[in-house]
Amino acid sequence: MPPPNTPEEGALATASSEPSSPEPAPVPLTAPNSPSAIGFAEFKYIFITKLDYQAIEYVGEVDDTLLCPVCRTPFISPITTPCGHTFCRECIDRALETQSTCPIDRQRIRKTRDYHLCPLIIKEQLDRLMVKCPNKGCNHQCPREHLEGHYKRRCDFTLVQCTGPDCVKPITRRVARKRLGGCMHDEVDCRHCGDKVCSMELDSHYDNDCMGRVAVCSDCRQVMPNPSMTRHKHEDCPKVDAPCKWHSAGCRVFKRRELVKKHEAEGCSFEVISRMLQQQAEDRKRLDEMARHVARCEERHARREARRAARAQAHATAHGTNNNNDHRSIEATHSAAHSAEPSSDGDGDVGGSTEDYVLAQFERLESELEILRQQSRDMDARQSHIILQHAAHFSDQIAEIGSKVGVVNMHLSWLMSLQRQSRSSTAAAAIAGAAASVASGSSSGARPGSSDGSGWRYSGDDRRYSEGGRPESLHRL
Amino acid sequence: MSAGFAAKRLGKELQKISTSLPPGIELVTAENFEEWLLDIKVLDSNPLYENETYRLKFRFGSTYPIEPPEVVFIQLPDRPIPIHPHVYSNGIICLDLLGQQGWSPVQNVESICMSLQSMLTGNSKNERPPGDEDFVRANRQRPKDIQFYYHDNDV
Ligand SMILES: [Zn+2]
Ligand SMILES: [Zn+2]
Ligand SMILES: [Zn+2]
Ligand SMILES: [Zn+2]
Ligand SMILES: [Zn+2]
Ligand SMILES: [Zn+2]
Ligand SMILES: [Zn+2]
Repeated sequence: MPPPNTPEEGALATASSEPSSPEPAPVPLTAPNSPSAIGFAEFKYIFITKLDYQAIEYVGEVDDTLLCPVCRTPFISPITTPCGHTFCRECIDRALETQSTCPIDRQRIRKTRDYHLCPLIIKEQLDRLMVKCPNKGCNHQCPREHLEGHYKRRCDFTLVQCTGPDCVKPITRRVARKRLGGCMHDEVDCRHCGDKVCSMELDSHYDNDCMGRVAVCSDCRQVMPNPSMTRHKHEDCPKVDAPCKWHSAGCRVFKRRELVKKHEAEGCSFEVISRMLQQQAEDRKRLDEMARHVARCEERHARREARRAARAQAHATAHGTNNNNDHRSIEATHSAAHSAEPSSDGDGDVGGSTEDYVLAQFERLESELEILRQQSRDMDARQSHIILQHAAHFSDQIAEIGSKVGVVNMHLSWLMSLQRQSRSSTAAAAIAGAAASVASGSSSGARPGSSDGSGWRYSGDDRRYSEGGRPESLHRL
Repeated sequence: MSAGFAAKRLGKELQKISTSLPPGIELVTAENFEEWLLDIKVLDSNPLYENETYRLKFRFGSTYPIEPPEVVFIQLPDRPIPIHPHVYSNGIICLDLLGQQGWSPVQNVESICMSLQSMLTGNSKNERPPGDEDFVRANRQRPKDIQFYYHDNDV
């Protein structure tokens, strides 16, 4: 069988004409005796899918230089052009159908005639690439050159046509190998439990589900339902080799389970070590937890410090713009509040940062309130002092006015008494005229002589008013 | 020719694109192997395209990558059509790389995006192709069917 790198690989044809997809594609109307069926006695199967190199998965990274620039997969049946570029045979064929130039450098290429064998070194590298078997259920990995053989001859999961005479459905080779001649898709009665099971799935039914079929443990001869056997061998069977319970601590005992049980019961010397290790692991865990806790606390503390510093700075800038007279006193109170702060929460450091923050805010507000109170007191005192000063001034003036009024009063009473004396003692006619004019003003009686003096009349109204009001006030004073 | 060829190649490209893309190129959606959306940005400070993102729509035929994909700019509220003498205002791009003659199957989505980025980067003309209005009004064709005359391949 040619390796996958040979360009003429199509000869490995199968019953399918379009087998490029990895999913099983049922092939209708292909007779079992078609010439493309593989004819060796060993391989009486009709392959339904062809190995699709473009779909296979590579193990690990494939070097970029091994990727075909057209399909981006590692070269499949590569050829090299006269211009020195390498492509998959299929890819360059396709590309030349639309353009007869090299896809990379656009030099003319004639299909097939200009194809050269690709350098052997590339082929070898390609052959060595590790690939995974594309069949579902198969975990086989091998160099790419061996994949074809595995897929065609050995892989149990390669899909073949059902061996039933009229059935074309796909089955895996593993199933087909067991029951040559019958259709694997009929339902049959399980001979052990009576369940209806598709004959293709009988094996897995026996292994996993069938409770009617009993099996005998090959080691201890115990009888049990078949599906329980795996668990029995892994966990219970006394004749199966098993490790000591304390093997993780270093116990090397590995013998039949019954002996191991005895060894454990007698006291494995590694038990102490194991317990110690366990204890240590627990301690380590606790230590880690504590370390984490400390780290968290430190972080919180650092945050708090940063906040405090920011706050102090904010204060400083606020005071910088403040040109108040009380600047110094405020500063003083503030610094007092600040110096009090660390001591107040220095011991209660465990408290949450929020409470601490609120507390600090509260302290700050309180100190500011105290300052305001002080300021208002000062203001109050200043105000009353000013008022007092003004009031003193007024009372001085009032006193002065009072004294002046007293003087005027004196003068007036002197004048009045003088007038009274002169009126009563002398009644001379010449003087009487002048006296009468004075009397008319003061007594507001008839003014017999007023028509005589034109000068008096002229400003009469004013004079009358002022002289009319005066006597009473004079009397009061 | 199998129909899965394009899908396989696109699958490989998508695998690569979704892990790493050059700066300024971003995959928007690739839900199938027929239509992908990508965003591109011009990275240097060309004032024509600064701070803009453009949306590209790729449509792949079953012959991809043997034949080029159909690539157009599409317009959205926040995705304008870039102004360029080779980009019609309906988003159709006149770039020889995307035509049958200029295309090569070694090109891929990433390389197309990078070519368009550099096409925009190198442009200083704030204009549409000649006859843009008539073209946009009359155009009922799919971009693939238009025979462009690549008058200046230096842009
Ligand atoms: Zn070449
Ligand atoms: Zn290829
Ligand atoms: Zn396999
Ligand atoms: Zn069957
Ligand atoms: Zn059963
Ligand atoms: Zn047993
Ligand atoms: Zn032990």
